[in-house]
Amino acid sequence: MSENTALPLARFTIVEVNDADVPLCLRLATSLAAKIAADLGASVLKIEPPEGDPVRRAPPLLSQGESALFQFLNTSKRSLVIDLATESGRSSLARLLGKTDVCLFEEPASVATMLRAGHATPIEIAAFPVEMSAAARPVSELAIQALGGLMHMVGEPDRKPLRLGGHQASYAAGLTAFTGLAAALAARDAGRTAPSVRVSLAEVMQWVNWKAASGAEATGTSPGREGKGSEFQVLPCRDGHVAVVYTVTQWPATRTLIGDPRLDDPRFSTRAGRRQHIADLYAALAPWFADKTREEIQKTAQAKGVPFGPIFTPRELLETEQYVARSFLADMKHPTLGTLRLPQLPVQWNGRSFAPRPAPRLSAPELAA
Amino acid sequence: MSDRPLTGIRVLDFGLLTAGANTSAMLADLGADVIKIESGAYLDPFRVVGKMDNDEGWWNRSPQFRFTNRNKRGLALNLKDPQGQRVIRELAATCDVVVENFRRGVLDRAGLGYKDLSAINPRLVFAAISSQGDTGPERMNVSFGSTLDATSGIASLTGYEGEAPRISGMDVNYPDQIVSLFATGIVITAVMEARRSGKGAFLDFSQREVASFTLGEEILAASADPQHRLAPRGNDEAGIAQQDAYRCADGKWLAVTLDRADPGLKAFCIGHDRETALAALLAKGIAAAPCLDGNDLLRDTALQGVTLIRDERGQLVKGLPYRLDGKGITIERAAPDLGQHTDEVLRELLGYDDARLEQLKDSGVTSTTPTIGDV
Repeated sequence: MSENTALPLARFTIVEVNDADVPLCLRLATSLAAKIAADLGASVLKIEPPEGDPVRRAPPLLSQGESALFQFLNTSKRSLVIDLATESGRSSLARLLGKTDVCLFEEPASVATMLRAGHATPIEIAAFPVEMSAAARPVSELAIQALGGLMHMVGEPDRKPLRLGGHQASYAAGLTAFTGLAAALAARDAGRTAPSVRVSLAEVMQWVNWKAASGAEATGTSPGREGKGSEFQVLPCRDGHVAVVYTVTQWPATRTLIGDPRLDDPRFSTRAGRRQHIADLYAALAPWFADKTREEIQKTAQAKGVPFGPIFTPRELLETEQYVARSFLADMKHPTLGTLRLPQLPVQWNGRSFAPRPAPRLSAPELAA
Repeated sequence: MSDRPLTGIRVLDFGLLTAGANTSAMLADLGADVIKIESGAYLDPFRVVGKMDNDEGWWNRSPQFRFTNRNKRGLALNLKDPQGQRVIRELAATCDVVVENFRRGVLDRAGLGYKDLSAINPRLVFAAISSQGDTGPERMNVSFGSTLDATSGIASLTGYEGEAPRISGMDVNYPDQIVSLFATGIVITAVMEARRSGKGAFLDFSQREVASFTLGEEILAASADPQHRLAPRGNDEAGIAQQDAYRCADGKWLAVTLDRADPGLKAFCIGHDRETALAALLAKGIAAAPCLDGNDLLRDTALQGVTLIRDERGQLVKGLPYRLDGKGITIERAAPDLGQHTDEVLRELLGYDDARLEQLKDSGVTSTTPTIGDV
């Protein structure tokens, strides 16, 4: 689909307001939500301060000094510099919003009050729930993963808790904001009053980590990081690492696959027994992995219906057979950076992918047309 | 509640566990009428994973099932029986959306795949959520939760400095959680398009791709620079001066992010109780937060926001990840018992009479008890 008008959100106009001095972790969520809409064809205008969205300078950086993070999060958008510290800047924005379906912004934005009251349906990204009355509290993605209970779940019980890699706190919120945005558009499209949407990173993180709450409620004890005591662990193999994962019903197939007589021990025949003797279990599992490659392990395990997971790095994913076959990674021609390979939206719609268009350059300040 | 974003939309929900069932739950929360299909021979695995006891009706008491399937009606129909398949085809004619996360080919073999159902109802939006997507050499691969932490790349960036990579584990199964946050928005987009054009869509979601999508900038950077090497780095983050979890005097952990490195932070934390250290750091404008556990989350209702809520039976269930017009949701119905609404829905939507319902029950097509043995 090269023709923009044929894309599903082509009839909608969205403004993403990037005010100065907003925590980066909120901006990443806002920009991801708007990027998804833009790749789906919505006309997305990114309003940047004169010095630009700080994400333009955020790592990882490409060799030319441009930010890979910015390039990923701002595909298919247009950009307009407006200085929201000035009266004329704010009235330019107000005029733009009169012709806009939805606007995205962050809670600390200086123009938040104006945006909440405007014609465009507001999609607001915040750090914390309204009940905390914590709009001014300092925030980071790590703080959100801590508050959401996610860090408590990852690592060894007697060592420090760990964050999940990547920008998971911001991106989970960004995906949520996109769904809220779609709901708002659907309401407008059906001639209903669209609800305003508020997404806080802290609420999303807890919602994602709901099994900590359900587990604590059911047993009185919170689930937590079990490290070397957990049923699913990572084992080294000849060329890297593999995550050992199997369900209760997949245990017999797993035992057959490994084929070590020690696994026939009745101690391992029930889930409770396996959990109780987990160190012995892993001692019996480990040798099978040690002399095999990830590819051998995956092929052999899948043939038996066992879902072991070879661990790949982002670099290795570029050549993954499955991703290549599905054209999940798009080659995007950038006017100054050459060809960039990046993930497309993770959906195929009647077999069609949504090719991203390059992120906008920062233009000189100008008045909104 | 007649003016919610998805009022008037009906969903035929084959969703299981989190990835599928939660996508339908999020559609229900926006006003859609969600009809969950199970069968006596194949329950939503959450009913089994969350088994609390061996007493009669155990399959209706799983917390995980209860958390995820509130606000739905539940039917139990044997999809291997031609009569059960016929009922599904009749239901599909009255629905706008199908959500399923079976292994590829399962619905096709029952004559209930996208080709079959869209022939009956061309406006149908069919969301197929699978491990690897509907095409490609690995389309039949199985995965379970943390398999995808590994194969998506997330695990390669998670772990202690210089040590082996880590997965989120079975009490998180992170990749399963995020797929519904994305898939719901895409389904809504396709519903809008179907309303406008009269044409439905086949939406093919790969859970692994959703997880890799969250590493977009790292994949992009690696493609541009073969030297872009990544490894577990504890709680460090590129572009951040200093960041980690620090143990406090009371043994509790505090997560702190500093704009400027401070070699004295570790000693400061171990010298103070967590509450004291937290207050002092926040007062200095430093981002800090306690590493909470599940019980902490249950207690802190302000922090909880609208993410947890109680159903009509007073039991805790999942709330909303966002709020609409400042509010969360009320739970209009608790998660269904197996087959609780079979008769009600078949009467209401298909006009079945008592004799027909009785016949379906007698022939084992409908049921309210599992036919599976020991689990």
